[in-house]
Parts: sequence; structure tokens; C-alpha cells
Amino acid sequence: MGKRLIVVGAGAGGGSVAAEAKRRDPSLEITMIEQGLHVATAA
Amino acid sequence: MPYYIGDVIKEAGKLTARTPEKFREGGIEVIIDTGVAEVDEQRQEVRLADGKALPYDFLALATGAEALRPGIPGEDREGVFLLKKLADALAIKSYLAAIGCRRAIVIGAGFIGLEVSEAFVNRGIETEMIHRGKLPAARWDPELGAALLEEMKRRGVIFTPQTELISIEGGDTYRLRLNTNHGPREADIILIATGIRADTRLARAMGLTIGGSGAIAVNFSQRTCRENVYAAGDCCESFHRVSRRWVNIPLGDIANKQGRVAGSNIGGTPRTFPGVVGAQSFRIFSWEAAAAGITEREAAAAGFHPVSALLWGNATAGTMPGPKKIGLKLIADRATGRLLGAQAVGEQRVVGRINTLAAALWAGLALDDIGYMDLAYAPPFSGSWDIIHLAAQNLLRKM
Repeated sequence: MGKRLIVVGAGAGGGSVAAEAKRRDPSLEITMIEQGLHVATAA
Repeated sequence: MPYYIGDVIKEAGKLTARTPEKFREGGIEVIIDTGVAEVDEQRQEVRLADGKALPYDFLALATGAEALRPGIPGEDREGVFLLKKLADALAIKSYLAAIGCRRAIVIGAGFIGLEVSEAFVNRGIETEMIHRGKLPAARWDPELGAALLEEMKRRGVIFTPQTELISIEGGDTYRLRLNTNHGPREADIILIATGIRADTRLARAMGLTIGGSGAIAVNFSQRTCRENVYAAGDCCESFHRVSRRWVNIPLGDIANKQGRVAGSNIGGTPRTFPGVVGAQSFRIFSWEAAAAGITEREAAAAGFHPVSALLWGNATAGTMPGPKKIGLKLIADRATGRLLGAQAVGEQRVVGRINTLAAALWAGLALDDIGYMDLAYAPPFSGSWDIIHLAAQNLLRKM
């Protein structure tokens, strides 16, 4: 089983963390948690 | 988002880089509409607001920034908005459409307030900007801020400076009334854009180190004071390559880069974030504003000996028809001749100049280098001496 990554916040920063971590290590189990209704939003 | 409110960007879908479905297709689980109640570092678990507990090996905090409220009675009334999240932009746009908004008040004259005032004017709404200070864009020299103010007034924005807020209540002619030390002002919508602050609530609850800027302290790998906890984006600090201090500059481009660095390290590929030079830009109607580096005040606080000069010139060659004004201020260190900061406003090609100077700041170049730097020249783009050369040589004479 891969290691587990939790990302708190799915804006520009959080979306980038999750996407890049998965790209570098596909075995990671990643969950992003977002307070709002939208993810990966542009300013 | 201001361009979505102003109908320049028509579809809200264009404002999201990736949907939750797209993340899930890529093997990343997404839980929306859910807050984090606490992080139990002993058990390495994140407890969600709904009670569910999720175990982790690595944790990344990307909690962003929260919009500041002035703290006056009535600021939560219907028709009073902040603009931080996409949900805010959607709510503002549907409110505008639903009520047939005639008049708007924008509180705050930073770039969000300025961009939204342009959006309101472009929708045919009479717009008044209420500001605590004297001029818009406080980071820019007063002479440059005054030029931006001229452009705003030409386009019909009413600018009310040096104003203290008292309260918001129901209006007579319009829906809302804002009471100020200069008397009451009415409007159908009030936008509060008085700044944002790093959201460090979860980090503080975990006892993570908070830096001098008030944001989460990280190292060059985006790691916090804990081995397996990272941070990225508006919630954390960045190393400023000019002042050599840790700062908090909440901008989406920085968040993307920090996020990628954090993700790369978590995924096992070492990478460091090289820092920032404070490059930023915005547009107000047909004027551009951009800046990089530090201000004279920041320079003095960091122990430099700042000296500065502001030069007005032309964005294109003087021989070309239709001259376009551009004002460029440079700040340098008297002790070393090194460039410390650059600020510009103008009708054309402002951001390109500041990007060039951002590269100079990044590399630590001195005015001597900049005054004779080889830049792309052709009459539609610059004089044979670009305003960058002229401003550097002008400031050198003052050193």
C-alpha cells in the first residue's frame, strides 16, 4: 500500500501539491479536503 | 474573478483549472464542502468537521488566505460582499443580475478593489471607491498612484479618500447606506476589498511555527517545522530574494510554484523553491501597473541605503505617432549600486519592462549593468534607449 497524503485546501496551492505529488509517486494515496464548493480556482 | 464579474470572462467554468472529477480521474480523491476540525499528530489523523477521521503519512496545508472585514455594524447585510472565493464571484454576479444594480461602493483601493471598480463601470454601474488612504495602489509611488487615479476619474469612478467607515444600514434611494466620517453614501451593492491575511488557524492549532509575516514558516522545500507536514500558497511564507527576509505575498502564481515544489518533495523528487522578488501587476481601464522588488521603506528596514528616482517617458520610440506615457521609478542601494525595486504605470508595455527588471532583481544586477543591458529594440516597442536604460542612468547620476 502506498503512503497517504492529505492536502487541506484545494485552491491553487493545494491543487498543485496533489497533482505534482501524484505525478512523482503514482503509488501515493491522496485526498484533498476543501471547505468551499470549488477546487483549483484562478484568481 | 473581477473579469468574470465584468463579463470579460463569460463562463464561470473558465475560472477553475480542474474539476473534482478531473482530479478523481487522476487518482486524487476530493472532498468538498467539508472543513477540518483538527489534526491529531499523535495518531497521524485528520478529523473532519463531519466526525470522520482520515489517517495520513504526509500532510500538506494549503489553507489559503481569508478576506479581512472592517468590523463595522451591518457588514454582513445582504448586498455586502467580499471577493476571495469563486463562490463570492458567483454570488456577486447573480446579485447584480437579480437586482438591476444602479450604484456600487467599493471599499479599498488595492488591486482587487481597482479591478472590481473597472468591472462595475464596464457594466454601466455608477461606482464610488472609498479608501482609507490618499491614493490608490499604496505600494506604488504617490506620483504613479496619482496617475492611476486620473485614469479612474476619466472613466467616471468617484474616488473618496481618507475615509473612515462607521456602519452599514438600509438605504433610501438605494438598497444600502454606508455611514462614514465624510457622511452617508448609498449604493445597491457594497464590495469590501480591504485586504487579506494568511489563514493559519489550523497551523496554529497544531502548534506549527508561524513566521514574522504572520504566515506559516517553511523551509526551501516547503516543509514546516514538522518532518512530514508541508505548506504551500497564500497561507505560508516565501523567501524574498531582494530583502533576504521571509515574506507573505498571497498571489496565485506563487502558490502554483510552491505547491509543485511541495508535491515534488512529498513524491520523492527533491526540489527547492527559489524564492520571490515581489513581482506583481494589474490593469485599471487602459492603464497598466506593475512592480517588483522592495519599496524604499522596506529597503531601509532591511538595512539598505535606498536612493530612488522616477522618470516619465515613452513606451515606444519618440518618432512613432501616438506617444504612450510610461512612468518608471527605480530604487537602488547607495552602498552597492544594486537595484532594489522598480515600480511603473503607463498606457502600454509596462508589465514587460517590470518583468525585465524582475529578472534583474532576481539575478542581483546593479544599475551599471541595467543602464547598458542589451534589450530588444524596434520603434514600435521602445526608443533606442529604452526607458529602463534611461531610468537606470538617471538614478546612477544621483548615487
